[in-house]
Amino acid sequence: MDFDLTPEQEQIRKLAKDFADREIAPGARERDREQRFPAEILAKMAPLGFLGGPVPEQYGGMGIDYISHALITEEVGRADSSVRTTLSVQISLVELTILKFGTPKQKQAWLPRLCRGEVIGCFGLTEPASGTDAAALQTTAIKDGDDWIINGRKMWISNGGVSQLALIFARTDAKAPKTKGITAFLLSREHQPYGSPPIHGKLGLRSSDTSELVFEDVRVPDSMRLGELGQGFAIAMAALDSGRYSVAAGAVGVAQACLDASVSYATQRQTFGKPIAAHQLVQEMLADMTVETEAARLLVWRAGAVKNKGLPSTRETSIAKLYAAEAAQRCADMAIQIHGGYGFSDEFPVERYWRDARVNRLYEGTTQIQKLIIGRAITGIDAVAG
Amino acid sequence: MKLLVPLKQVPDSTMRIKVAPDGKSIVTEGITWSISPYDEYAVEMALEQKDADPSTTVSVVTVGPVRAKDALRAALAMGCDDGTFVTSDENAAPLVVARALAKFVEQKQPDLVLCGRQASDDDQGFVGPALATILGWPHVATVTKFAPADGGIEIWREVEGGHEVWKASGPALVTVQKSDKEPRYASLPGIMKAKKKELPELALSSLGVDAAAPKIEVVKMETPPQRGGGKILKAADGDAASVAAELVRLLRDEAKVL
Repeated sequence: MDFDLTPEQEQIRKLAKDFADREIAPGARERDREQRFPAEILAKMAPLGFLGGPVPEQYGGMGIDYISHALITEEVGRADSSVRTTLSVQISLVELTILKFGTPKQKQAWLPRLCRGEVIGCFGLTEPASGTDAAALQTTAIKDGDDWIINGRKMWISNGGVSQLALIFARTDAKAPKTKGITAFLLSREHQPYGSPPIHGKLGLRSSDTSELVFEDVRVPDSMRLGELGQGFAIAMAALDSGRYSVAAGAVGVAQACLDASVSYATQRQTFGKPIAAHQLVQEMLADMTVETEAARLLVWRAGAVKNKGLPSTRETSIAKLYAAEAAQRCADMAIQIHGGYGFSDEFPVERYWRDARVNRLYEGTTQIQKLIIGRAITGIDAVAG
Repeated sequence: MKLLVPLKQVPDSTMRIKVAPDGKSIVTEGITWSISPYDEYAVEMALEQKDADPSTTVSVVTVGPVRAKDALRAALAMGCDDGTFVTSDENAAPLVVARALAKFVEQKQPDLVLCGRQASDDDQGFVGPALATILGWPHVATVTKFAPADGGIEIWREVEGGHEVWKASGPALVTVQKSDKEPRYASLPGIMKAKKKELPELALSSLGVDAAAPKIEVVKMETPPQRGGGKILKAADGDAASVAAELVRLLRDEAKVL
C-alpha cells in the first residue's frame, strides 16, 4: 500500500492549489454576499482543463485519474464550495453520465463543448414533491411520432439558470413499476427551450446558480434520449454515485479550509497572555479537526483507487461522502468556536464554510441515504425500497 | 528561434522559512519547492515568443539535486518543449553552476538565453552575468521584453523612469525582470504532455567543468528581529486635533518616516 501521490498528481494538486488561492478564494466573500455566479472563474478554469477532468482525451477531456480528479475538486472546494458545486455538476453528473450512457454521436456532440466550458450542463432529477424518493418523480414524457413531449417541473437544480444543456428524467411509462418507467433525456436549451426560474435565499452556496426547471410541452427528438427506454432511474443512480465522489472531495476541501483558518487564527490570537492555540481545549479542537480532515481525505482516495481500477465503488463512495460531509460540518463548527465572535461574522471565512458545508449532508443523497446504501451493502437488505 | 531558460528550484515564496539548529542552513523538511519567481517570468517571456511564432523552441535546464527535476517538469507543464537535468550536490558553487550551464549552452546553441534576474533564495544575481562572461556573450540585465528584429534581437530594459531598447546582433543572454505579464498556469493538458517527455540527465562531473571555485561559506543565518507592537492613540488621549498633532510628532520623531 502506498499513500504517495505520483509526480503528476503532485503537479496537478499544486496547479489546482495555486489557481484556487489566487483566482477563486480572493473574491469568494463578495460573490457570496452578492449571490453572483462565478462565470469569470469558469472562463479561466476551462483553458486549464479543469472542466474536463476524467473524461478521455478523445472527447475533449483530460483523461486524468480519479485521485487527480479528487485533488482538483478538493482544492477548488477549499477555496469556494459554490465554484466546486458548479464543477461537480458539470463533470460528475453531466459529463461522466453522458460518457457512460451516451451514444457515440451524443458523446461527440456534447462532451468536447462541456469540457471546454462552452456549454454548462445541469442535472434535473429532484422535483418539488420528490427528492430522496426520486423514483416518485412526476415529470412526464409522452411519445408523439419520433418525438417526446415533456411536461413537469424540477427543483433545486444547480447550474439550472446558466445551463445550455439539461440532463433530465421523466416518466415515460405510467404503468411500469415506479423505478422502471423513467427515461433520461438531454435537452439543448437552444432547440428545446425550458424555463429556469431562479431560487434565491439559500443558507449556503449563495454564489452558485440554483433554479427550478420548467417544461411546458417541450418537444424532444428521440435522438436526445440518453440510454434505453426505462433505464432512467438506473442512470440517475449511477450519476449520483459519480456526483457523490465529487461532493466528498469538495467536503474534504472545506474541512481543510476550516483547519487552515483555525490554525492561523489560534496561533495569532492572544488571550491570558498567550496564543489561544496554547490552551489545551483549543488544541484539542485543532487535533480533532486534523483527524477528521485526514480520515475523510483517505476515504475519498480509497474510493478513487477503486474507481481507477474500474471496479464498482458505490459502497466506498457512500462511506467517503457520508464521512466527509459530516466531518466538514463538524470542522466548520469547531472553526467558528475557535474564532469566537469573529467567526460569527463574514470578516473571517469560517461562517461561510459552515453555511456551505450544510448542503453536503443533503445533496447527492442525504447522510441518511448514505447510511442505507452502506447498510444494504453489508446486509444485503434494501431498506430504501422497503 | 531557439530559446533557453536556465532555472533554479527554490523554496516556494509562500513557505515560512526556519533556520535549522546548525544556525547556517534552513529547515528543508516540509518545504514546497518551486521555480524561482524571476525564472518563471523568464519562462513566460520565452513562451510568449513561442505563442507569437510557433516555430520557436523553448528549452529549460537546471543544475541541482534530485528534487530540482520537479522544476523542469513544472516548466514543461507550462508549455516548454524540452528539459535537461544536470545533477549536482545540494549546494554547488554558483561559478561551477555557471560553468556547467556554459557547457550546455555550447552544445545547445540557443539564439537567446533568458535567466531570472536573481534567485529568490540567495538573491545573489550571480549565475546569469557569470554565464554570459564565460560564454563571451553580451548580457543585458533587468529585461522586460524582447522581439526578433532585422538581423538580431531587440531587447527592452527597464531603467529608472522608463526603458532602453538594445539590439543584439548575435546570440545574447538577458536577465529577466518582473513584468506586467504574470507567468501562466500550467494546464492539465500541459501536465499530461510533460508526463510523456523524457528528461535527459547529465551528471555535473560528466560535463568536464573546472570544479575549483572561490569557496563561499554561509557562517550564520538569522531571522529578522521580531517586530515590536504598534502604538494606538486613543480618543481618551485628547481631541482629534491634538491626537493628530501627537501622531505627526511620533511619525516624525520616533518612527522618523516624515
